[in-house]
Amino acid sequence: MNLPGYYEFCCRVKIIAGHDALEKIPDALAYLRARTPMIVSDKGVAGAGLIDIVTSAIKDGVTIGAVADDVTPDSDLQVVHRLARLYREKRCDSLIAVGGGSVMDTAKGVNILISENADDLMKFSGANALKRALKPLIAIPTTAGTGSEVTLVAVVKDHERHLKMAFVSYFLLPDVSVLDSRMTLSLPPAITAATGMDALAHAVEAYTCLAKNPLSDAHALAAINLIGENLVRVTRDPGDKNGRLAMANAATLAGIAFSNSMVGMVHTLGHSAGSVCGVPHGVCMAILLPYGLEYNMHKNGHLTAELLFPLGGAQVYAATPEGERADKVIALVRRINEDLHEASGGRHPRFFREVVDREGKQMVPREKLPEIAKTALSDGSLFYNPEDLDYDDFLMVMETSWEGEPLERRKIKKG
Amino acid sequence: MGTIREVKSGKKSLKKDYVAIMMWFMGRAIQAAASVDRDVRKEFAELPDRFTFDLCVMPDGPHMIVGKDRKGYVRYMGWDTEGKRTNLRIKIKNLEAAILMFTFQESTALATARNRLVVDGEVPHACAAVRILDIVEVYLLPKIIAKLAVKRYPLWSPGRKYIGRVFVYLRTVLGL
Ligand SMILES: [Fe+2]
Repeated sequence: MNLPGYYEFCCRVKIIAGHDALEKIPDALAYLRARTPMIVSDKGVAGAGLIDIVTSAIKDGVTIGAVADDVTPDSDLQVVHRLARLYREKRCDSLIAVGGGSVMDTAKGVNILISENADDLMKFSGANALKRALKPLIAIPTTAGTGSEVTLVAVVKDHERHLKMAFVSYFLLPDVSVLDSRMTLSLPPAITAATGMDALAHAVEAYTCLAKNPLSDAHALAAINLIGENLVRVTRDPGDKNGRLAMANAATLAGIAFSNSMVGMVHTLGHSAGSVCGVPHGVCMAILLPYGLEYNMHKNGHLTAELLFPLGGAQVYAATPEGERADKVIALVRRINEDLHEASGGRHPRFFREVVDREGKQMVPREKLPEIAKTALSDGSLFYNPEDLDYDDFLMVMETSWEGEPLERRKIKKG
Repeated sequence: MGTIREVKSGKKSLKKDYVAIMMWFMGRAIQAAASVDRDVRKEFAELPDRFTFDLCVMPDGPHMIVGKDRKGYVRYMGWDTEGKRTNLRIKIKNLEAAILMFTFQESTALATARNRLVVDGEVPHACAAVRILDIVEVYLLPKIIAKLAVKRYPLWSPGRKYIGRVFVYLRTVLGL
């Protein structure tokens, strides 16, 4: 066991998980002394009928003050302001966020405004600008991946002034996160696959990067085990309720792990490919994860090797000689990508040149790779990566992951 | 009843002096490296005009202030924050953490991982500042120590490494 000389770990979110977890929300709200929640969500979630499921599960126990189901795909400052006004008008006393990352971020932004009774969100941006507890917030994730139901960060964009504001505070953690299998049953295979690989990337990077610690390790290993057993299965069989619940648990476990020990180069490059070409985050994670492990191998191969047991199971672990376990993990991650590609009818891309948008247009033209590599140099997650990367290193990883070739080990500069 | 007086620990002020001297040296070395080393020059060129950054120890120093002057030259601007506007402040949370860093028992990366640094300012600027510090450390320190301070010891041409080092040292000592 690698015991760091010093570490910090904090997670104070109550988790309620099960096939009928939504029904427990009124109790959870009563415990938080709230009874008039405002539901925050987006059109996609509402269109899939998920708000109806939530409201019918809780309506006997609470008064629903308002339902705002028009959060934009990118959490937007204007929307935050509008929802804060609605909250005040309807005299709500708590928030229930139903959705993915941007719904959570928007709800956290609204919570800052209404709790601080403020008009200017900007005042609270940055690290630790919040000084006291906010109104009760219950998070219900509708994808199994981002982990934002247990993270202390919110990002809100001011589209008018082209600003991106980040808020970091333990007060932004939801009070309760509800994992209910009904919330992810209707996720299409390609999104199930990509978001699941995001969760895997969180757990794997948390375990193999520099800020790892025994508590986040425990969460990461449990997450990897659940993902290894369930991700391909639920992508093949979307109606598998137990598999869905397992993936929801895995995403939360991975979220707890990475929000305490951070992520590395897979996210560094993933953020850049996302911002330069608009590739969905989970897709970037799926493609880049094996490359991150390959690139860092000479620094953390012994840690990667330890992931074979939870990811591949006891038999695969026992059958693989010690010196080959790290390579086997990388091969398994590539294998999972292949299986997901097949299970999603070819919609889950395996390398960047395969990524297409809704019209079938290639999203990452080869000539964009230098810009992605350049952007990566400005991402803070690189601090936590075991090995350093300069522009040439980033470009090399992007070029190989674009083609779908493995990294040439001898080209990795080892210092 | 007698009053309890706070006795200043001599050991503590010794540590503070050590960090202050290292920072003074580092500050002058950054100024020197900016005129000798192509990569350091490029990093500064991409930062905004009159960009100034402050590496400091919480709660009350020492500080190391480096920035671009009106003409764009990189200057070590001393340890006095009075009247200086900084774009980026990298704060080491306490003196003990600073000692670990400046005795090279803990790399910048590990210090970050152990939550010993606070960044006031934009993350891209902090990334650039850390890259600059890494290069300067490679110039200043013998390989065996620099390897502990930076993540990856770079493969430089002998010219850059040895001749560059002589120039950086000369300029640092002379304050050029
Ligand atoms: Fe992620």
